[in-house]
Amino acid sequence: MAEVRLKHIAKAYTGDSRVIQDVSIDVNDKEFVVLVGPSGCGKSTLLRMIAGLETITDGELFIGDRRMNDVPASERDIAMVFQNYALYPHMTVFENMAFGLKLRGLPKDEIRERVSKAARLLEIENLLDRKPKDMSGGQRQRVAIGRAIVRNPQVFLFDEPLSNLDAKLRGQTRIELQKLHRELSATMIYVTHDQVEAMTLGDRIVVLRNGDVMQYDTPLNLYNHPVNQFVAGFIGTPPMNFLSGRITDAGPLRFESPNQEVMIDLAETGYGNALKPYRGKTVVLGIRAESISHQPFTDRTFHRQPVVVEALENMGSETLAYFLVENQRFIARLSAEQNLSFGQRIDLFWDSTKFHFFDAQTEQAIQP
Amino acid sequence: MTRRDKWIPYGLVAPYILHFAVFVAFPVVFSVVLTFHSWNIISPMEFVGLANYTRLFKDRLFWQAIYNTLRFLIIHIPLQIVIALALAELLNRTIRGASFFRAAFFLPVIVSGVVVTILWQQLLGYNMGMLNRILTAISLPRVPWLDDPTVAMYSIAVMVTWKNVGLYVILFLVGLQTVPVQYYEAADLEGATSWQKFRFITLPMINPTIFTVVVLSTIGGFSLFIEPYIMTEGGPMNSTLSAVMYIYRQAFQYYHMGYSATLGFFFALLILFVVAIQKRYVEQEI
Ligand SMILES: Nc1ncnc2c1ncn2[C@@H]1O[C@H](COP(=O)(O)OP(=O)(O)OP(=O)(O)O)[C@@H](O)[C@H]1O
Ligand SMILES: [Mg+2]
Repeated sequence: MAEVRLKHIAKAYTGDSRVIQDVSIDVNDKEFVVLVGPSGCGKSTLLRMIAGLETITDGELFIGDRRMNDVPASERDIAMVFQNYALYPHMTVFENMAFGLKLRGLPKDEIRERVSKAARLLEIENLLDRKPKDMSGGQRQRVAIGRAIVRNPQVFLFDEPLSNLDAKLRGQTRIELQKLHRELSATMIYVTHDQVEAMTLGDRIVVLRNGDVMQYDTPLNLYNHPVNQFVAGFIGTPPMNFLSGRITDAGPLRFESPNQEVMIDLAETGYGNALKPYRGKTVVLGIRAESISHQPFTDRTFHRQPVVVEALENMGSETLAYFLVENQRFIARLSAEQNLSFGQRIDLFWDSTKFHFFDAQTEQAIQP
Repeated sequence: MTRRDKWIPYGLVAPYILHFAVFVAFPVVFSVVLTFHSWNIISPMEFVGLANYTRLFKDRLFWQAIYNTLRFLIIHIPLQIVIALALAELLNRTIRGASFFRAAFFLPVIVSGVVVTILWQQLLGYNMGMLNRILTAISLPRVPWLDDPTVAMYSIAVMVTWKNVGLYVILFLVGLQTVPVQYYEAADLEGATSWQKFRFITLPMINPTIFTVVVLSTIGGFSLFIEPYIMTEGGPMNSTLSAVMYIYRQAFQYYHMGYSATLGFFFALLILFVVAIQKRYVEQEI
C-alpha cells in the first residue's frame, strides 16, 4: 500500500518567497502521476520534497499511512531516477545496482538474483561489468532505472529521466516505461516539462504553474475540459489557438473579435446560456488546430471563416496551415491531400462543438 | 621572416635555458660525477670508482637514518591524511566561522619552520615544557617527548603533521567540493548512513586528491631536516637522525662531498621507488 498524499504542501527556499504555494494531491496506490509545467514552476522541488531531499516548509506529506515530514530520505523507501542519472562513476553497473541492497546487508546470492532479474527486464545483462562512462546515454538511463527497481521500493520518482535522450530513443523508452509500470504495478510520480510525455504516460496529470496546481485530472479530461486558459494552452500540440473578443450587448448572442474579422453566432453552440452573463464583456475563444477543417462538417454545427494561408508545414500525413486572424497566428491541422499554396484565400470551418471560452479577466474556463 | 627574426624565439627562451643549465642540469650531472670521486672541496677531486657505493652499503649509520625516516613517515603520512580529511569534512559542512578555521589551520603552514620548531621545543621540554607541566598538574607522569629514543621521532612526526595539516585540509576541501551532491542524494535514497556515504562515495571519489596528498607528504616527509636539526640534533642516540640530516653532515661537517652525493643519489632513487609503489597501490581509476 503506497498511496502518496500531499496536504497543503508549501516550500520556501529562502525567507518568505514561496516556490510552492499550497499543493494538495492524492496519488493512489499503483497510480502513474505526471507533474508537468513550464521551467521553474516547482516540479523538481515538489518531487524532492516527496523524496526527502528538501525540507517541507508547510503542510503534510503522507506515504501509506505514515506522516513523512520528518522522516529522513534514507528511511522513506523511495527510489528516484535523476535527470542525469547520478550513477556512481567508480562502480560497475552491477555494483551500482547492487549498492542499495548491499547497504541493507542482503545476502550475496539474493543480491545477484535481484540484479540479474532487473537486468533481464531492462535488457542490460551484457553491460553489468561496464563502468558508467563506457555506456551510451540510453544505456545509462536503463541502469538508473535498474538501480531503482532492484530495491522494490514503495514509490518511484522520476525527474525528467528522458530529457537527455534523442527523440527516437525518448519515444521508445516512453513505451518501455509504460510497460514497466504495468509489470511492477508500483506507484510512480514522474516529472517532465514535455506535455507529450505527460499525456502518454500519466494515469493522471498535475499541471503546475508558479508553484500552484492548475488542474489535476486524466489526460483526456485535461485535453477536452481544461479548467483555464493556461492548461488549455499548455496541453496539446500545436497549442490551442486563442482569440479575445466581445459578447454582443444586445440582439442575438454573438462573439465579435475587435475588428469584426470573426463573428460567431452563439445560439447554437451550446454556450448560449453560459455566455449570457458576459454580454458586453470580453472573453477569450479557444479552438484547437485539429478542430479546424477545410471542408464543412456534416454532422455538427460549425463556423465558416475566410482566411489567407500564410505558411504551410507539410508533415506527410497532415499539413499544418498557418493564417492570421486579427493579426494573431492561428494554426489548423488539415489532411495532407489538400493542394494549398501560400497566399491562397480559402474558407476554413471551425467545429463549434469544440469551442472553449475563457473569462478574459480570471482566465478561468466558462462551462457550457 | 628575415634572418634576424629567426633568432628571436631562441633569444626569448635563452634565459630559461640558461637558468635550467646552471641550476638544474649542471648540479645533477655534477653530483652524479661526484659519486665516483673523493673530494673535500679544497684539494682536487680524486677518482675512486665504486668505492663510495660499497661504503654506502656498509654504512650502518646511514641505514639507521633511513630507518628513522621511514619510522617518521609511517606515523606522519597516515596521521596527516586522517586529520586533514577529518578537518576538511568538518569545514565542508556549513559550520559557523568556517573561514576563520580555514585560516587558523593554514597559519602554521606559512610560518617559518624554524619558528614553529622552537615553539614546539619549548612545548615538549621535559622539565619546563608546557605539555609536561599540564601532565604533572593533573598528576600524571611526565613524558620524555624528545629525550627518549623510542618517543622522540614520533613527537617530531606529530609536530610536522601539525605544521603542514592546513595545506592538506585545503587540498581535501577542494577535492570534497568536486564530488557532485547528487551522488550523496542518490545514496541517501538508497538508505546509506553518513559513514557509508563517506566510505563508498567520498573516499573513492576523492582518490585523486588522496593520492596527491600521499605523494606530497611522502616527498615532504623524506626531506625531514629542520625539525630534528634544531630540536634534537639527531639525538637521542641518533634516533631522530634523518636521512637528509645525515647527508648534510657528510657534506658540510665532514666535507665528504663525493660520498654525500652518493647518498643523495641513492636516496633520490629510494623516494622514486616508494612513490612508484604508492602509485601502484593507492591510485585508483574512477
Ligand atoms: N536550492 C534552491 N535554492 C533557491 N531556490 C531554488 C532552489 N532550487 C530551486 N529554486 C527555485 O525554485 C523554483 C522552482 O524550481 P524547480 O527546480 O522546482 O523548477 P522545475 O519546475 O523543476 O524547473 P525545470 O523544468 O527547469 O527543471 C525556481 O524558481 C528556482 O529558481
Ligand atoms: Mg526540474
